[in-house]
Amino acid sequence: MITFASCFVRCEATVTSVPIDPLKATFWIWVEYRRQKPEPVLMQAETAHPADALRRPERNDPAFLAKIAAEQKIEPQDEMPDDYRKHLVRQISQHAHSEIVGMLPEGGWITRAPSLKRKEVLLAKVQDEGGHGLYLYAAAETLGVSRQSLLDALHSGRAKYSSIFNYATETWADIGMIGWLVDGAAIMNQVPLCRCSYGPYARAMIRICKEESFHQRQGFDIVRSLVEGTTEQKAMAQASFERWWWPTLMMFGPHDSDSVHTQASDWGIKRLSNDELRQRFVDVTVPQAAYLGLTIPDPALCWNAERGHYDFGPLDWDEFWRVVKGGGPCNEARLSARVTAFENGAWVREAAAEHARKRKFERAAKPAEKIAA
Amino acid sequence: MAATTLVFGVLPQADALRLADTCLLWAHRLSEWCGHGPAIEEDIALTNTALDAIGQARALYQAVALARGDGSSEDTLAYFRDPDEFCNLSIAAVANGDYAQTVLRSLYLSAWFISVWEGFAHTNAIELHRFAAESAKAARMCFRHASDWAVRFGDGTGESRARMERALLLLEPFVLELLDAELTGSPAQSRSGSFRQRIDACFAQATLSPLSVGSSRGSSAAERRALLTEMQSLARLHPTARW
Amino acid sequence: MSQVHDQNSGNDWPLFEVFVRSKQGLDHKHVGSLHAADDTHAISLARDVYTRRQEGVSIWVVPAASITASAPEQKSDNFDPMANKIYRHPTFYDIPDEIGHM
Repeated sequence: MITFASCFVRCEATVTSVPIDPLKATFWIWVEYRRQKPEPVLMQAETAHPADALRRPERNDPAFLAKIAAEQKIEPQDEMPDDYRKHLVRQISQHAHSEIVGMLPEGGWITRAPSLKRKEVLLAKVQDEGGHGLYLYAAAETLGVSRQSLLDALHSGRAKYSSIFNYATETWADIGMIGWLVDGAAIMNQVPLCRCSYGPYARAMIRICKEESFHQRQGFDIVRSLVEGTTEQKAMAQASFERWWWPTLMMFGPHDSDSVHTQASDWGIKRLSNDELRQRFVDVTVPQAAYLGLTIPDPALCWNAERGHYDFGPLDWDEFWRVVKGGGPCNEARLSARVTAFENGAWVREAAAEHARKRKFERAAKPAEKIAA
Repeated sequence: MAATTLVFGVLPQADALRLADTCLLWAHRLSEWCGHGPAIEEDIALTNTALDAIGQARALYQAVALARGDGSSEDTLAYFRDPDEFCNLSIAAVANGDYAQTVLRSLYLSAWFISVWEGFAHTNAIELHRFAAESAKAARMCFRHASDWAVRFGDGTGESRARMERALLLLEPFVLELLDAELTGSPAQSRSGSFRQRIDACFAQATLSPLSVGSSRGSSAAERRALLTEMQSLARLHPTARW
Repeated sequence: MSQVHDQNSGNDWPLFEVFVRSKQGLDHKHVGSLHAADDTHAISLARDVYTRRQEGVSIWVVPAASITASAPEQKSDNFDPMANKIYRHPTFYDIPDEIGHM
C-alpha cells in the first residue's frame, strides 16, 4: 500500500519542510567518501560522481524544461536544478516513510486476523509495504542522500509521512477499508508517477504498482465478505466506511485553489492536480460502494450530469491540518513505534557490521568457511 | 476407522497437529515483528519465514480436517480449540524477547523442521512426500538465515555475544523436547543427530560453546494462552461469521 | 540522536546493487539496491526483497562502491561520436530486391 507524498508537495508553506539540503549532503558524503574510503558507502553507484561537479541549471532552465517536455527521463548523474533534486528528495522520502509507517496500522491486525487465509494475505501485503518503502529509499538515495539521514529526519519528526496512517484501525473492517479506499486512493496517485520525469522514481513506481495490484483487491474482498456476512459484520463495515471516507478524500491534499504553486507539474513530477485525482477517486469509488450496499456519509453526494462527475460535500480542512501537524489519533504512537524499532535494532545492525569487518579481515588470510545447511 | 483418521494416509492426527500448531504459533511470534524489525530488509526476511510457516500450518490443518471429515476446517482447528488442546512444541509459543532470542528460536525450530521434513523423504504417501519436500526447502532457507545471524551475534560485538549467550540460557529448557519429541515414521534418535550436527556447526562458527541440554523442561503454557487469546479474539466474538 | 548516528556511521550497512536473472537464457538485470552487512547477507536479503514473486533464478549483488560509472560530463564526448558511424548498421547497405533477405 502506498500513499501520498505528493499531498505534502502542495503544502510546503504550512508544513515544516525537511531541512535536508540534498546538495550539501551530497557534497559532504563525497568528502567523507574520499577521506575514509572504503568504509562509508553512503552513495548509490549511480551517484558515484559528486553532483557539485556538474553544471547546475536554474530551476527554469529552458534546456532542462525542454528535456522534460520531450518526456526524456532525468537520470541520477544528469544535470538538474537544485530545487528539482530537493523536491524529489522530499517527495520520494515522504513516500518511503509513508510505506514504512503504513505497515503499522495494518500490522497490528496480523495477529488477530479472523481466518488463516486472511492472516496470510495480510502478512504478505504488509510485507510488500516494507519492500515498497525500501525501493523508494533506494530511489531517494540515488539523489545523494543516505538512508540514515532520511531515517533521522523521520525519527526526529522533521520529515512527514501520509497523515492517513495517523488514524487508528479500530476494527477488522478498517483493514478492508485501508486496502479498498486508502490503497485505492494511493493507486490513483501512483499510476501517473510511473511516468514521472525522474528515472529511478519512475522505475520504483512501476515495480510498486505492479506488486500493488493485489492490495486494493484484497481490501475490497474483505469488505465484501463483511457486507455479505452477519448483521454485526455489516454494521462493522458501515461504521468503518464512515470513519475512513473523509480521511481518504483528504489524502489527495488541499484544493488546487488553496495549494501553493510548485513547479512539480512543469518538472514532470506531478501530472494531475489534487482535485483532479480526488474527483477521479470519487467517481470510481461511488459505484463500488453502491455495489457493496454501503452508504456514503455525505448528504451532498450526487451525480452531476452536466459535469459528468459526482458532486460531493466540503472536506473538513481543520481536521486535515490538525492531523498533518501531529494532532491525529495516532501520530505519537506511530512515530514512537518506528523510533523504538530503530533504536532496539541498533545493536543488531552494529553486530552485523562488526562481524562483516572481522570477516573481511579474516578473509584476506584464508577463505571463509560455509555452514552446511 | 484408524485408516480414515490418518492424515495424508500415514500420519497420526496428534503428530500432524503437533507440527501444525508449532508452525502456527511460531508464525504468530514472527509476525509480531512485522513493522518492528531491526532493519527494513530484515523485516521482509522475517515475514517470509512467517509466511512459510503459516502456509505449512494451513496445509496440515486442512489435511487434518479432511481426515476427520467431521466438518472441521483449518479455521475451526486454529481458532476454536482451547489452549490446552494445542500440542505445539513449547519453544514455539515463547514470547519473542530480543532479536537474539528470536534468531535462536528460529535456528532451533528450523533445524528441527529440516530433520522432520527430510525424515519424510522416503514416505510412500505422495501428498506428504510433496508437502515435506517443499517444507524442507523453506526450513533450510530459514536455517541459513538464522545461522548467519547466530554467527554474526556470536562473533560480532560484545553486546551481541552477551545477548546471544543470554538467549541460549533462556531457551535451554526447551531444547530437550526438540531432541526427544516422538513422531511416527520419524524416529527421534535420527532426527536429534541431524539437529545436533547442524546446531553444533553453527555454534562453532559463531565461536559459541557447544549446545548444552539441561534435564529440565520449560513450559510456555501461560504464553500460549495469552497468544491464543489474542489470536482467537475476533474469530470467537463472531462464531458464526465467515470472513 | 542524529549525532549518535553520525558518530556510528561506520555501522550503517553499505549499499549493494542487485541484479536478477529472471529466467535461464536472459541477462542479469539491475533491479534495485539494498543495505546489507556483507555480501552473504546481501544475497540473502536480495532473495527476500527482490524475488518475492518468483522474479528470478539467479542473483548477483555488487557493493555499490565497487561500480565505476562513466563521467556524466563526458556523456557527449563519449557517445556522440558513434552517431555518425552509420555504416555499422545493416540499413546502410542496399541489397537488390532479387537477393531477398540477407
